[in-house]
Amino acid sequence: MMRCLWVSMALLAALAGPASVGPFRSVPLLAQQPQQQDEFIPIDQLPPQDQLPAAPLLITAYSFVVLALFAYVLSVSRRLGTVQQELNRLQSETKRGRL
Amino acid sequence: MPKWFVPVAVICGLMFAVSPLLIANAPYESTMGLVQKIFYVHLPSALIFLIAAIVCGVASVRFLFGGNPRHDRLAWAAAELVVLFGIITLVTGPLWARKAWGVWWQWDVRLTASLMGWMVAVAYLLLRRYGGPGSDKLAAGLALFGMANVPFIYISVNYWRTIHPTTNVLPTLPVSMGLPVWFTFATFFLLFLLLLRMRVRLEEQRARLDALYLSMDA
Repeated sequence: MMRCLWVSMALLAALAGPASVGPFRSVPLLAQQPQQQDEFIPIDQLPPQDQLPAAPLLITAYSFVVLALFAYVLSVSRRLGTVQQELNRLQSETKRGRL
Repeated sequence: MPKWFVPVAVICGLMFAVSPLLIANAPYESTMGLVQKIFYVHLPSALIFLIAAIVCGVASVRFLFGGNPRHDRLAWAAAELVVLFGIITLVTGPLWARKAWGVWWQWDVRLTASLMGWMVAVAYLLLRRYGGPGSDKLAAGLALFGMANVPFIYISVNYWRTIHPTTNVLPTLPVSMGLPVWFTFATFFLLFLLLLRMRVRLEEQRARLDALYLSMDA
């Protein structure tokens, strides 16, 4: 019984030991950590390694819009031209056939 | 082409020339900076994407119940523009999001529903191209799903928690930012009308060509 009590107390002391000295140890540990920022940081105040350049994204977006619209206009114009040519050819052939 | 086509094309060209000046002179948004200028093409293209889906849907309903091929041609033309303005929206959005949100894409309701709407339009075009006889009616049915998706895309940001801005942003914009965005929207809308007319004209000419071939065979 007493042996169990001694073992329990020893275990408790072993567990409580680091906790009791913890606050004394935490001072140098906290001092090693970087200073915490607990508020919003505007994007232009971020450190350079965390910043993503905006200009390439903006240029890509606008270039894509212009190219997509231009390609579509070109595509419709070409399709329209081809159909119109075919239509003209057929109409002239029909007229010649009638004559 | 109708009489209004050339004057509207000239006005649209002039507006396209003026738009970059207005966008460049618009003030920088305080938190996002330069990249926020993508907004001036992203939002108008997104609105035209939704308008084109509605035009496609309404024309498809009229074709399904009336059977007029004019409505079918309009729906087909609008579906192509859904794909065009949809891809512009879906490309410019992630380019903006990468800088503003730190990610290219979020599987939130608006983005996912927009992607679905775009894919419905692509499916419509594939069905028209490779579906064979009867695909016009089937595609018209598909266009109804595309149109039904539009209000869901628009209001989803107000009901689901998402990082995409809500619909309240546009009415509360200051004039210095609101003017360029509405001007660009007007430019895109005129372009949409011109492209729609051109595309409908292409289908009209194709129909004439088919009729001519059929008359030659007879």
